Amino acid sequence: MKSKIKFLSFIVFVLAITFTFTQCSHNDKEHSNDSDKASVLDDSFDKIDDSQSNSIEINEHGVKFDHTKMALSCKDCHSCQYPTKQKPCLINCPRKQLITVYHAPEEGPTLVEMNQIKGDYKPFMFTHKLHAQMANMTGGCQTCHHYNTTGPIQKCSNCHESDRAKVKNIHIPDLESAYHRMCLTCHREWSHSTDCQQCHLSKDQNPEEYKKSKIAKYQHKDHPPLVEPGKIVYQTKHSSGKFVTFQHEDHTKLFGLECKSCHGDDNCISCHDYWNKQTGNNTVKFKKTHKTFQQHHNPCSNCHTIQNNCGKCHKEQEVDKFNHSSTGFNLGTNHSHLQCNACHKKTGVFKGLNKNCTSCHNNFVMGKFDHKKTGLQLNEMHADFDCSSCHTNNNFAVSPVCNDCHDGYSYPAKKPGKLVKKK
Amino acid sequence: MSELIYPQPVKAKFFTPGMIIVSLIALNGIVFLAIRFLFGIGAVTNLNNQYPWGIWIGVDVAAGVVLAAGGFVSAAMGHIFHLPYMKLVVRPALLTAMLGYTFVAFAVFVDIGRWYYIWHPLVMWNGTSPLFEVGICVMIYLTVLYIEFTPILTERFRGKVNLPSILRVFNGLVEWILKLLDNTLGKVMFLFLIAGVVLSTLHQSSLGTLMVIAGYKMHPLWQTPILPLLFFISAVCVGIPMIIFESLIASRSFKIEPEMHVLSKIAGYVPLLLGIYLAFKLGDMFIRQSFVYMTEINKFSIAFIIEIVFGVILPMIMLMSRRVLNSPFWLFIASALVVLGVGINRINNFIIAYRPFYAKSAYIPSFGEISVTLGCIALTVILYRAIVMIFPVISLPKQDDLKELKHNRG
Amino acid sequence: MDEKVKNQNPRRTFLKQFAVGTAASVGVSLIPTKTEAKFKDTQRENETRMGVLFDATLCAGCRNCERACKVAHNFPVDDIETFRDRSVYKEYRRPSPNNYTVVNEFPPSGVATFPIDVKVQCMHCNEPACASACIVGAFTKHASGAVTWNSDMCIGCRYCMVACPFQIPTFEYDKAIQPKIQKCDLCFERTKVGKIPACVENCPVGALTYGPREELLLLAKEKIERHPDKYYHHVFGEYEVGGTSWLYVAPVEFSELKFPPVGDSPAPGVTEAIQHGIFAYFIPPLALFSWLGGVMYVNNRKNKKIENEANEGEKK
Repeated sequence: MKSKIKFLSFIVFVLAITFTFTQCSHNDKEHSNDSDKASVLDDSFDKIDDSQSNSIEINEHGVKFDHTKMALSCKDCHSCQYPTKQKPCLINCPRKQLITVYHAPEEGPTLVEMNQIKGDYKPFMFTHKLHAQMANMTGGCQTCHHYNTTGPIQKCSNCHESDRAKVKNIHIPDLESAYHRMCLTCHREWSHSTDCQQCHLSKDQNPEEYKKSKIAKYQHKDHPPLVEPGKIVYQTKHSSGKFVTFQHEDHTKLFGLECKSCHGDDNCISCHDYWNKQTGNNTVKFKKTHKTFQQHHNPCSNCHTIQNNCGKCHKEQEVDKFNHSSTGFNLGTNHSHLQCNACHKKTGVFKGLNKNCTSCHNNFVMGKFDHKKTGLQLNEMHADFDCSSCHTNNNFAVSPVCNDCHDGYSYPAKKPGKLVKKK
Repeated sequence: MSELIYPQPVKAKFFTPGMIIVSLIALNGIVFLAIRFLFGIGAVTNLNNQYPWGIWIGVDVAAGVVLAAGGFVSAAMGHIFHLPYMKLVVRPALLTAMLGYTFVAFAVFVDIGRWYYIWHPLVMWNGTSPLFEVGICVMIYLTVLYIEFTPILTERFRGKVNLPSILRVFNGLVEWILKLLDNTLGKVMFLFLIAGVVLSTLHQSSLGTLMVIAGYKMHPLWQTPILPLLFFISAVCVGIPMIIFESLIASRSFKIEPEMHVLSKIAGYVPLLLGIYLAFKLGDMFIRQSFVYMTEINKFSIAFIIEIVFGVILPMIMLMSRRVLNSPFWLFIASALVVLGVGINRINNFIIAYRPFYAKSAYIPSFGEISVTLGCIALTVILYRAIVMIFPVISLPKQDDLKELKHNRG
Repeated sequence: MDEKVKNQNPRRTFLKQFAVGTAASVGVSLIPTKTEAKFKDTQRENETRMGVLFDATLCAGCRNCERACKVAHNFPVDDIETFRDRSVYKEYRRPSPNNYTVVNEFPPSGVATFPIDVKVQCMHCNEPACASACIVGAFTKHASGAVTWNSDMCIGCRYCMVACPFQIPTFEYDKAIQPKIQKCDLCFERTKVGKIPACVENCPVGALTYGPREELLLLAKEKIERHPDKYYHHVFGEYEVGGTSWLYVAPVEFSELKFPPVGDSPAPGVTEAIQHGIFAYFIPPLALFSWLGGVMYVNNRKNKKIENEANEGEKK
């Protein structure tokens, strides 16, 4: 018995030293020879060791996640420098930077029965797909699933305690609060009503019938696809520079902005002007609120410099869509679908690009370029030529002429290879 | 002259036409009192959750206490500072104080929701509460006042105890008790006299502390940490005018010659006291810069001006004139102004200045409340008249001297 | 009295009697001093006190809390659907003897795009004016933060209502016998057995959070920090009247929501300073007593001298 204790304490001693060096503990005073404490220390050490050898962990909610495969900084989830399993020091949800995976609205369930809370009202059917489609136009899935690892979708009740009296961390609302906040943040603005029976089943309704009617009504119902405005013209109250034209399409299509980067905080009423019902044309009117200069210009100033630059946006009349041919370079059919930053690599600078194809297309050199892409597979003879042998001055816009080299030859009667399907 | 007169029961007709009116007022009050005790405070008053205190506290208690200040002021002047001419007015002042405080105690009894728990403060002490202090002091002081009054009782009955019919057997016992009281009280009376003055000083000032805790709910023209000091000084100020006021009323009512030589002498102190009070009041106003509220004309600034101009400045100027001091009429007016002024000050502090943040409409006392207040005052007046007609309180020339006096004049 | 004392040695009698009086007064003075000390230790400076955080940006004005409160305190309760009637919001309401808490609605202003609902109930001050003012000490500030009222002590003087900076205590004016002071007790009976306050339990959106006050303050500040544009940057109750157990965060300035202009100093502060000044170990009253005694004694002697001289003069 005595020897066993001795042996154990020896192991503990060794482990404790390692422990100190691995900096996993902040308390090195604990490595005493006291066997009670030692066993605790021993235990914790094992686990830490385990997690180091195998980065896949199963958290308390039974969700597997792999730390190493996450594009994250530790600080996104942990508040201390060296989180341990005992003290993960997780920061409170919702975390500032969120980890989400995108799912199409159709991937999720159409209707979800909310029945986890026992209360004054009966369970109700949540039209998940419809809401997901709506969320798609603003914050995406994370509007509701605000904290999710790369694994499966977590249940709300994993974090949100369903019994309010048992809530330990008051920073995380309980399940009932979480549900209602999710609903009410939009629905209060949307319908201006907090009537419980808007969602909940009243006492005289039959739950089965209600369920059936809901399914029948919403199973194939989709939110109508969003009509994206080409441009929005804002009229300001200033006498000079009265019009601000916002090229909405350019921002989404050419700059590749996601909806949520501007509309992340938007609500249904942002578009469905509930009070004015003025959604006739493409020009959408926003509800007027008293905003500071800063708040007012935030949508633009988040990316654009607005200081001393008013005239850039504030014009005397509506502005037409940007025409790239006005710069002397017609985008044609090949380039028109490209986003700006495909060519204009330097952020914010749109000048000084060489019109020469090779200035961008650095693969337009012999041996690197697969000529099949143009729909013409060069035969062996031609494949070995330098590009400029045929394409004079590396001008690929103009097709080469055969009789520059071959007298009397003309395309397409004679081809330098065979035609293939364009890639 | 003072050798000729001494306290004796007044002989007059009890129910004069005036007294019949007073009795009717008292009866009316008693009716509403009955309603209050049967159906609750809400049935009679206009009080609500925003205005918990009305005229029963503002007038009956606060003004009642200060107007009974004549008792302690005269006790201090007569017994402690031994101003000889005070002897004539000490007894009426004592009686007023005794009745006044009885009236106050009764008003409290009526106003508190659980009148049957009125003894609670005796056993349940809360040292931080100014109301507790006021309550305890008033209870002890009331006892002290009754003790101070006992010599008058013994003087009236000692050696004359003659109980009717069966009770006659107790004659000896009562006589013995009176003798015992007379002998022992005489030796320790000085303790009670001093205690009376100390207790008055304490609760007169603490009555001011009462409203300090109301904080922002009280208009800044009145709300000040020196409220207790102002309350005490004004209590001292009103003591003498109150003695003069009631002495002049009593002499008129009983058709006896007013003791102008005493009254005008003591009235001479009043301008000085009022001056001190005014200095504190205005000084406080300037230190707290509350005079800015005088620029707006509303019920607060008007009430404040009435209180200061008519209750302090005007009588102060009046009482500095010899002509006023020597004329019973003008002396009466001046004292009445001080009495009213201090009374208004108490009403202002407790009712007008109290403007709760959530009140929907201002508090206006109901007919029932006014009836009860007037009824209680009327009862006090009736009691006063009855007591001075039974006990030797008011100093008069001896009955035969009086005849002689009249004869001489005639 | 002076005539009666005349035939004894006045000086000896006076001193003897004065000493007795002084001893008695000192004895009396000791008791309130002790009770004061107890009050301070157990009821005010307590770190374990709990509280509730009310978030006005979340409250939807469903009035479930009003109903839950009535149920918890055994008041007659209407059907739940009657509480959905929003016409009550037309006028500003205050707590009443059978309604410890009410919700009021204010029109949207500032950054709020929908009406702002605010619950009103006792704030459970750290230094309650009601407890300080009560003539019999019927109010108790518990370690849990709750300020409760004891029906067995109350005499119905309503001074607590005068003192309360939030005008919370209400009185049953219509009762002739045993009228009560009624106010929120932070569900003292429920929390004692480990339950949370009824209003908190029944709030569908969790606009109410029950927890340790210190923790709630952190939560409140975190909310403001996370949504700086959604909240007015102030936690009402952190410092107001020396701190309250109930804390509020709201989208607009609190004065717009009819919060009273109370200031940061504890409501009973000035009063207690005055009281302690006047009754500092009963020294000032005793000093006054002895001084007056001294004055009386000196004057008595002077008077007797004059009297004696006059008598002698008469004899001659």
